Amino acid sequence: MRKLVALGVGGVAVALGVFAYDVQVTDLHSPHDHAWATVAVGWSFVVAGLVAWLRRPSNRLWTLLLAAGFALLMRQFRYSFDAWLFTVFFVLGELPYGLVPHSVLAYPSGTVVDRYERALVKVGYACVLTLPLAILFFYDGTRPLLTYNPLDPRPHDSLLLLHGSADTVEVLQKAFVVFYYGFVATLFILLIARRFARATPRSRRILAPLLLAAVAIALRAVFECVLIFVHYRFARDYLFWWQITAFFALPLALLAGLLRAGFARARVSDLVVELEYAPPEEVGGALAKALDDPTLDVAFWLPDAGTYADAQGQPVGLPQDEARAVTLLQHDGEPLAAIVHDPSLLNEPKLVRAAGAAARLALENAQLQADMRAQLTQVQESRVRIVAAADEERKRIERDLHDGAQQRLAALALQLRTAQRRLDSREADPTVEALLECAVLELQAANEELRELVRGVYPTILTEEGLAAALESLALRNPFPIDLDVLEGRLPARVEATAYFVTCEGLANVTKHARATRASVSIARRNGLLAVEIADDGVGGAQPLENSGLSGLADRVEALGGTLRLDSPTGGGTRLSAEIPCES
Amino acid sequence: MTQISGFALTRVSRALRVRPVAKDARLCDICFMAVTVVIVDDHPSFRTSARTLLELEGFEVVGEAADGASALEVAAALEPELVLLDIALPDTTGFEVAERLARGPSKVILTSSRELRDLGRRVQASGALGFVPKDRLTGAVLAELLGSST
Repeated sequence: MRKLVALGVGGVAVALGVFAYDVQVTDLHSPHDHAWATVAVGWSFVVAGLVAWLRRPSNRLWTLLLAAGFALLMRQFRYSFDAWLFTVFFVLGELPYGLVPHSVLAYPSGTVVDRYERALVKVGYACVLTLPLAILFFYDGTRPLLTYNPLDPRPHDSLLLLHGSADTVEVLQKAFVVFYYGFVATLFILLIARRFARATPRSRRILAPLLLAAVAIALRAVFECVLIFVHYRFARDYLFWWQITAFFALPLALLAGLLRAGFARARVSDLVVELEYAPPEEVGGALAKALDDPTLDVAFWLPDAGTYADAQGQPVGLPQDEARAVTLLQHDGEPLAAIVHDPSLLNEPKLVRAAGAAARLALENAQLQADMRAQLTQVQESRVRIVAAADEERKRIERDLHDGAQQRLAALALQLRTAQRRLDSREADPTVEALLECAVLELQAANEELRELVRGVYPTILTEEGLAAALESLALRNPFPIDLDVLEGRLPARVEATAYFVTCEGLANVTKHARATRASVSIARRNGLLAVEIADDGVGGAQPLENSGLSGLADRVEALGGTLRLDSPTGGGTRLSAEIPCES
Repeated sequence: MTQISGFALTRVSRALRVRPVAKDARLCDICFMAVTVVIVDDHPSFRTSARTLLELEGFEVVGEAADGASALEVAAALEPELVLLDIALPDTTGFEVAERLARGPSKVILTSSRELRDLGRRVQASGALGFVPKDRLTGAVLAELLGSST
């Protein structure tokens, strides 16, 4: 039914266009191509208005486009020598140039929202309706009207004539052009520039047709001025085609912009298929594409943490400023996700919600994964904290032993030696001397064992001088030669400690099981990883990692996000290697 | 704890470039001026034990200090021939104090409850004359280190 009505309206427009063509050719003596081009501009507005009505009836822009189209077609009737047609359509002849700016400023919502823009539209209508009316009060046909063919001497007949004055008519005509196509048109272009200046990037793409409108109006203004004041035919002909082209394209651009939301809806329906097998990281990108907003981001609600997080599970805050807008999505009354987008999408809340609904399954899946990743991150952070706490505890024990037992034993050693010296100076009992000597030796042995224990707990040299010095010290105490190739310089404490303990354990295993003659330790930084390798030329055949004493170390390495590997073919030596994340 | 008399003796002994000798006539046939020592350690029990032993072995302990800042002050005031300096001090490290003292007249021997190989390269870099583990400290070891420097 609606299509039939549209066809009927289109038929009327065709008929009016043919009549407008005839009037232009017959009464204005326009060239045929000029006449058809003028009619085509009217038709383009009518077609745009009808399509907009069929596709987006809720947006009132179609009424303005349709009205502008019919006004442009009927504007040509003012050239008729019929008194009624001339009088009525001369008064209404400038109406299209009130309707066209109105359509442009009502884009894209269908209504003019800004108060300055509304004021300009009102001024425009007042101007285009009152000045032609005033002209007809004074037009008596003694001098041709300025935009009419000067070669046709036949006068038109104004039914509104009050007092004939050719001079007043000319002044009013020129005043209209100066005021409307000079002042009002400039204000119109400035308002468009203001809209662009205030728009977000996404809004600017939507507002692109307005740029064409600004060009069209500017061309039209120059054309009118040339027509009225310059009379330079060459310039007039060129300007005619430029402004006709711009005005022909304008309604089509506005229509395309209006239907863009329709295209977006089609893209949104594609989302369901597109996201069926998509990983969570791609959900945000797909929504950004569907909603034509590259800045769009998705945050997932983590029920346990009571916060929003990105796809990796990292907590994120929702923006509070006006530069970004947030649409919250829920499922069964529970928060699901937040779409952070360009504020221009707030004009299309149904579209955003439709996109959210289309992506619901993928969003739920992504939410679960984000939640899982957040928990995993928490576990990893907890493991790192446990390792750090263990290291701190080891350091505390080392300090306590150093400040307590080791100091007491050192003092005791000196006191025993003092006792020996005092006995030396007297005639001492040999048994007491022997006992003292034995006590000194026992004490030295105890001290040695305590030092070994302290080293195993946490070597101070590692804290004070770093990994290279600590491993040099370790190599000095090793019972067989070690080739050391260790990165100089300091690394994060937990990385140094992990690399050190891996090396210690590796070398201890070499000593205990490998029957090796040589071993090598290599520590280097590669691609953000610290690569630790302990190799020997022993018998190989070591137990798998999980069954050996290295499993605790593997946990420690993995807590830092690294890996520990053991390669020990029978008879082929053993290679223990660790890779520990270590950003420089 | 400083001894003003030790201050004067120190100046004489440096002029004579003496070896450390025992003051006690029963330990030593020929008595020379004793080497003056300042002991720096934050553990009073160690300072006391070391003082007793070293004095028994012919050194003259002219002062003690419990931290790095005091060590520098005492050493500047008394100018001992030797500063026996613990590495682990509450306000700084013995290495840093040794580096400062190395510019002055006193020689420095570092000591610690750890072993030399547990301390890395900083012992050598500090400008100290040598190192002795605390439980191995004797006058003879110090004399040997001092003797090797002359």
